[in-house]
Order: sequence, then structure tokens, then C-alpha cells
Amino acid sequence: MSANHIVFRDVSKFYGEVLGVNKVNLEVASGLTGLVGPNGSGKSTLMHLMTGLLRPSRGEISVLGVSPNCPEELFRLVGYCTQYDNFPNGSTGLSFLRFALSLHGYSKSEADERAWTVLARVGLTDAANRRIAGYSKGMRQRIKLAHAHCHDPQVLVLDEPLNGLDPMGRAEMIDLFTEFAKEGRHVIVSSHILHEVDVISDGVIMIHGGAIVAEGEIREVRGEITSHPIQVLIRCDQPHLVASRIFELEHIVEARIVEDEGLLVRTKDASDFFTQFNRIVIDTGVVVETVAPADESVHAVYDYLIGEGLGGGSA
Amino acid sequence: MTTPGDLMQRRQVLTLARHEVGRSLFSRRSLAVYLLVGMPLALMLLRALFMPGSMRADASHATTEFAEVFHFFLLRFVVFFANAMIFVRLFRGEILEKSLHYTLLAPLPRTVLVIGKYLGGVLSASLILVITTILTYILVYLPHGSAGIQLLLSGSGIANLASYLLIVVLACFAYGALFMLAGLFFKNPMVPAVLFLGWETLTPFLPTFLKVLSFVHYLVSFAPVPVSLGAFALLARPVSWWIALLALIASSAALVFVASRVARGLEVTYSAD
Repeated sequence: MSANHIVFRDVSKFYGEVLGVNKVNLEVASGLTGLVGPNGSGKSTLMHLMTGLLRPSRGEISVLGVSPNCPEELFRLVGYCTQYDNFPNGSTGLSFLRFALSLHGYSKSEADERAWTVLARVGLTDAANRRIAGYSKGMRQRIKLAHAHCHDPQVLVLDEPLNGLDPMGRAEMIDLFTEFAKEGRHVIVSSHILHEVDVISDGVIMIHGGAIVAEGEIREVRGEITSHPIQVLIRCDQPHLVASRIFELEHIVEARIVEDEGLLVRTKDASDFFTQFNRIVIDTGVVVETVAPADESVHAVYDYLIGEGLGGGSA
Repeated sequence: MTTPGDLMQRRQVLTLARHEVGRSLFSRRSLAVYLLVGMPLALMLLRALFMPGSMRADASHATTEFAEVFHFFLLRFVVFFANAMIFVRLFRGEILEKSLHYTLLAPLPRTVLVIGKYLGGVLSASLILVITTILTYILVYLPHGSAGIQLLLSGSGIANLASYLLIVVLACFAYGALFMLAGLFFKNPMVPAVLFLGWETLTPFLPTFLKVLSFVHYLVSFAPVPVSLGAFALLARPVSWWIALLALIASSAALVFVASRVARGLEVTYSAD
């Protein structure tokens, strides 16, 4: 299996009779990947399988060429921030990280130095010697994130990492994740806040009912959803004229002027639409301010693929 | 030849053991263990305070008295349950606390994890129980004044104490391995612990082929002073010390091996635990 990717081959996980994930095939490249799906869809199961906290009932998993059955190699590469909000009794932020780092083989002084550096990075220097039990929800989330990346892993797996963080904290952590991803590492983030996933992710994995319903870059995934016409928002000086010309195209489903936003077009053939639109602009001399896809977002794709499945579609 | 991997694993074992010693000796939960080991000390203190003068003058019974206290109370109750409390918590405690995943996310083989925790448990339990045994021993002899102290410090007094301490340490190895495994297997390991206590208590009344399936059968082989087990006890040929030692070490090693196999398949599903 690939030494540069996180690979799932036909992976299923059953909890007795209950399905966790079913026949998952994935190949996750480096960069920041969003894992989205409703509660109980299998996001955490997928992350647990990736990190060996669960064993697959069937199939094979490899993380950068290492099997999750080999923790001594896996956790040199992987850091995992789980959804669990529990900590060893009596631990302080500093002792918690020191212990983790000493298990990674760092000497006492190295572990100490590294722990302080990571604590500073997550903004917990002042609370380092306080018991974690007395931390706020946001601080607990920060110490979990510190634990996940204190050993400088190549793969960061983060289960709802922004839960409980204030807006400032969210921005800081997002910066941290994107910095990691820019360095060519793998960062996998599950979140139910689709807007955040949209902003930070290079790619997305959508899971529903234990099955992967879409995987790839948002634009690619959106392009493959042929059941929903693609939406394009055009801001120009003569929207009515453009609308009348656009209506002549066969693949146009809808063209309507949305107040203060512009002309919203729904088309079944995006590539032909853009070709024809350029021609219309040249022919009519319309001044175009912006042309932007209106539904190439995680939110829209989620709604199309999963929202409808749940009976809550808004497309 | 020692490889860097071996050195790393040794360091990890020591780190885990040190961590477990800290948790076992200084956490809030260790209070129950301290209360338990405080029981024989409290009893011996009461005995010392309320001992009639005629008994104080005669120190000759002290050796037999300690042997009985050791067999029927220290070994079969205090050592047994202190080990149960310490070793069951090694894994089950972290599962209930929902913090086991932090250790499982460390780059160490599960076998190293089991050995490190086990070693930490053995060190903690041995330390607590050795101190308890020494203090109880002293408290048995002390009320007899200078005669008691003389007996305590005599060659046989020290040798007897050393034998009792050996029994305690071997009991920590054997019971510890059993209870650590029980903590991995059972959601409520105290139920099998109580059942096993029943089995250990019944040992004197079992035929030889069943006696060999208990730890206490081997542990008492090191006892320096024999005690009467009652009219209904079935006497068996005593086990030689080296067979007893081998049996205890081999069974402890086998239990730790099974525990490491179980740990290799351990999954984090706190909601199911």
C-alpha cells in the first residue's frame, strides 16, 4: 500500500450486529481533508480505525505504509485528538504532556522543553501546572490538541477539534492545522461546522450511514453530482440582458435575479455554460464584475448528498 | 546484542512503571488500599493496648500468633484484596476513567504496555504490603517488651520475617498477574476476584490435584512456621520451595503473556464498557 497516503481497502467495522462503517475504500493524500457527516454516520469510527483504537472486522488499513496494528511505528507518524473529553485523574497540563513525550522516547529535559513549547503554541503556558480537571472546555480542547501534535507527527487526526473553542481559539487552531497541511503533512479534521470545513479543507470525505458518499476536492465532488444543476452567481451591469440571452441555452434550468446579489443561474452543463457565457459577454459588451460558483461548497454538497438522504435537503 | 529499539522499549517500560507507581501510591483511589492495609495494623495495635499482663510476660507465643495472623488474615485477605484493588485498576481503572486511549496512542507495542503497567503494579503492591507485613510483625512482638524484641531481632526472627516478605512479594507477582488479566476481561473484576478468594480459601479442604490450581498452595510452601488448618483440612505433601517458586513464576509469566495477547486486541469503545 502507498507510503504517502492513508489507505482504506474494503474496510468494514461491525459492533456486534450494528454497522459502524461498511466497505470503505479511501485514499487520502497529504493536505487538509475534512471529514463530514451527520452524528452517528461513522466519522469517529473511521478515525478510530485509522489509529488502531478499533480493529476492522474486514479489510485493510495503511497509514503512510504502516499498519495500525503496529502502534510502535504508527504513533511516531500519527497524532490523534479524540472526541473524548476525559483525562487521567490528577494530571496537570504539563505532566500530561511530559508523560506522553517520555513514552515517545524523549529524555526528561527534552520532554520538558518540548512540552513547554507546545503549551505555548496552544496558549496554555499560564495554566501548565494547573490540574486539567479544573480547565474550561476550551482549555481541555487545547490540551488535547497539544497532546496530538506534541511529537511532531506527519499525520494529524482531529475529531471535532474546534468544539468548545472561542472564535479566537478557533482561528488560532485553524492556523495551526493549515500550517501543518502546508508543510505537506496529512491533517484530517472531522467537524459538523460545515462552513469551517469548507474554509480550511483542500479535500472532503463525506460519510453517511457508515458509507463514503463522496471523496475528493469539493469542486470535483460537486461536478459529479449531476442530479443537481450547478449554480453560478454573476454580478454584472446588465443582469436582465444576460438573463435573456442565457435562457436561450438548452442546459439552463433557471436564471433569476437575486436582489443585491446578482444573477443566479442553474445549469446542467457547467463547461458549455462558461463557453457560451464568454461569447455572450463579448457579443453584448456587458461589464462583468464577478462570476462565481454558488454551490461549490461543502455545505451545498453535503445538502445534496446527505441532507436529502436525511429528508432535510435544501437544494 | 541490545538494539536501539530494545533500549527504547526498556525506557518505555520504566516510564510506565514509574507512572503506575505514582498513580497507585498517591492517587485518591489508593486511599481504599491504605484503609485495607491499615486493618491488620489497627488490630495489632489494639491487641498491644489491651493485652493482659500475663500474656505480655510470655513472648513464646508471638511467633505462632504472627503465623496465624499472616496465614488467615494478611495473606488470604489483605494481600489478596490489596492486589485486586491495585492490579484491576491498571487497565479497568483507565477504561472507566475513559483515559486509556492516551496510553494506547503512544508508540509502544501492547506487550510493552502490559509489562510496564504490571511492573508498576508489582512495585507498588510490594512496597505497600512489605511495609505492612514488617509493621504487623513488629507490632506482634513489641508488646512482649525486651523478650519480644530479642526474639524479633534473633536469627530466626529475622529469617522468619524474610520468608514472610518473600511470600508477600511472590503473592504480588502471582495475584497481580491474575487481577491485571481480570481487569482486561471483566467489566466488574471484583466478582471473579471474590470467586477466586473463595477458591483460595477452600484450598486446604481440596484434594491435592485441585490444590495445585491455587496460588496459596505454593505460597505457603515458603512459610517458616506451620499453622493448623483445622480438623477438616486435607493434608497434602508439601511442595518443595523450588517447585513452588517455579510454579509461581511460570504461572505469573503465563498470565502476563495472556494479558498481553488480550491487550493486542484491545479496542477503545468506552460506551460499551
